[in-house]
Amino acid sequence: MTDFIENAGHVPDFIKNDITWEKLTYSQNSHSLTVNVPILTPVQCDQLARHIKDNSRQFLKKQTVDSIIDLVDQVIDRLLNRDDPIRKKAEQLLPLITGFDPEMSRLSLTRYLKTFRKPQLLRFVSEDFSNPKILDDFQPIVKGGFAKAYGPDCLLHIWSGNVPGLPLWSLISGLLVKAGNIGKIASSEPLFASWFTKLLIEIEPKLADCLAILWWEGGTQDQENSLLQHSDVVLAYGDNDTIKQIRDRTPIKTRFLSHGHKISFGIISAQVLDPQKVWSVAHNAAADIVQYDQQGCYSPHIYFVEAGTNITPQAFAKYVAHELSCFQKKFPRRVLNTKEAIQLASWQNNQELESVSNPRKEIFRDKDGAWTVIFNESDKDFCLSGLNRTISIIEVNSLNQVVPIISPYKDFLQTASLAVAPDELFSLSRQLGEHGVTRITSIGSMTAPEAGWHHDGRFNLLDLVTFTEIESFLEGYSDMFANYTD
Amino acid sequence: MDLRGNIALITGSSRGIGAAIAKAFAHEGATVAINYKNNALVADKIVNECRELGGIAECFQADVTIPSECRSLINSVASEFGKLDILVNNAFHPYNFIPEKRKMFWDLEWEHYQSQIEGSLLSTHSLCKAAFPLMQKTANGKIVNITTDLISKPSIPYHEYTTAKSALTGFSKNLAAEMGPFGIRVNCVAPGLVYPTDSSAETKENLKEMIIAQTPLRRIANPEDVAGAVLFLASDWSRFITGQTIFVDGGLIMN
Repeated sequence: MTDFIENAGHVPDFIKNDITWEKLTYSQNSHSLTVNVPILTPVQCDQLARHIKDNSRQFLKKQTVDSIIDLVDQVIDRLLNRDDPIRKKAEQLLPLITGFDPEMSRLSLTRYLKTFRKPQLLRFVSEDFSNPKILDDFQPIVKGGFAKAYGPDCLLHIWSGNVPGLPLWSLISGLLVKAGNIGKIASSEPLFASWFTKLLIEIEPKLADCLAILWWEGGTQDQENSLLQHSDVVLAYGDNDTIKQIRDRTPIKTRFLSHGHKISFGIISAQVLDPQKVWSVAHNAAADIVQYDQQGCYSPHIYFVEAGTNITPQAFAKYVAHELSCFQKKFPRRVLNTKEAIQLASWQNNQELESVSNPRKEIFRDKDGAWTVIFNESDKDFCLSGLNRTISIIEVNSLNQVVPIISPYKDFLQTASLAVAPDELFSLSRQLGEHGVTRITSIGSMTAPEAGWHHDGRFNLLDLVTFTEIESFLEGYSDMFANYTD
Repeated sequence: MDLRGNIALITGSSRGIGAAIAKAFAHEGATVAINYKNNALVADKIVNECRELGGIAECFQADVTIPSECRSLINSVASEFGKLDILVNNAFHPYNFIPEKRKMFWDLEWEHYQSQIEGSLLSTHSLCKAAFPLMQKTANGKIVNITTDLISKPSIPYHEYTTAKSALTGFSKNLAAEMGPFGIRVNCVAPGLVYPTDSSAETKENLKEMIIAQTPLRRIANPEDVAGAVLFLASDWSRFITGQTIFVDGGLIMN
């Protein structure tokens, strides 16, 4: 039994001695961890927001975007270095908090962090700004005149979920647009944003007054309301109910951005189902299921598999089942909490009951229920996964059959992974895009969006800024008042 | 599988594959002698885990590359438990399986080979020689030597390691021929890449994926997979098998 204690969060020095700390406790495999998280009163939240705003104006807004990229790159470099003390801590403590297999966590962390190196950050900024210097100063624009992009003085992030490191997307986005950032960490993973902030401040101490990482109990409104009043932009993650109740309390003047729960899925064309290629497709399909036990918005719920070759969709389902059993030995699924275990058992029972009376439905599962594959021979038996390494595989006679099945879920669709031939890629992508899919990737890459990914089809950086434009005629007009005018 | 009443000595069993083998024996009720070289603390931990699994276990310190220590080790096990039924030669000279950092043939001196040969062949020779009289008493000894599937296909030429293990395979066949008439069986277990162990801790993910893609059972071996084959060869289920090598690599090598 080893007991670990870790301090999470960050508040500027001026308030440090006046706040209280709450303990969040975690345990896994006879190890326990206590995470101390900072709690502020509504009045302190008010003082903090003013402080962050002032300092982001005085310091962060005066930095160039290139210097911020260099800074983030240095932090990521440390987090990628397996000998760095914080990286070591991350490898040790994240599995303890989230329950994910340590080896899976380690490999995923490296893969994820690599998307925030300098070249990727440069691409990230260029995705949204054709001339990234527009974040530093007025730049000529196509219609004439000049424009400069301003990030918010106070950007409030409300994070959720247990996928390690997820807050980095929005926190780095906030930094790149020079926003003062206040983040609320989730109880299910409070550490990574805290470590990232700690390293940032180690490299650039002045950032200590431009950032805050806090915690309050979900549903507690006093602190949240105080910060909502001060924020220029709010970026909220979570389920739709949570997002709705935060949005309802956000002032009308404040820009509200949200990322709610999503449905992602894969499509496999008959053209790739031959004895030579089937294994690698099934392997990659299973890898996407296993990664973080389908806790991400980009994790697959369903694979649609086209019939027509001697590798039938049912055979494909069996290949996926074996791959899931291999992954269970390599990266065992985390131990589910009681609520999750009950939900999963209920989902599995329902599927089994249905399969008794439905010869078109077949179930493959391991003896302990660590993974389940539901094969549906007919799309009439459409079902979503029960999460935590469960997947629904649906046979379709043609790829054109997929869109009508998914279109009722348009508002919730996000990532589609494809294993299709080039002649199918664009026609299928067009249909998917029309029905709400915002990201199309290859099977096996669902959980690793590339740098510059437009999360839920939105602009990560552009959505955060406002532009100030100098209209073209003003340039000529001001010329009239120059002392060198003839 | 009931191995109650059997005394099993597993060399190098404070960690990795050896520890998994020790625990598998304990799970089947055997009395387990855990040999370690340096780290008494981790050996104690494995002893406790074996006891929790229902077996009797003790740990014995010995550097098995030194013949005199091998003799003392066998004597200590014999005086503690009264006999020896199963000997698993698992220890070998530390070796890191990192393809990017391996020595090329022209970098290798004879001493490198010598060190690996001492790690596997010298230690096995010394232990078998010392154990032979004990096993003869019951006419029912089982010796299992851990080699590698690289002896059949050196897909990465870890010269000195694979050469030493190849020698151990030849040694085992000869020993099987000699010991058979005394009711002592000698077999080898040849794992593929086993993960996780200290030796494979730094093996890169892309190499593992490459091996998985060529392996019919589509995964890398773990220490418990190796233990299964060792249990089989140490049990009565394999009572008419000697001089053989079982490859535990998911079908990567098929002989």
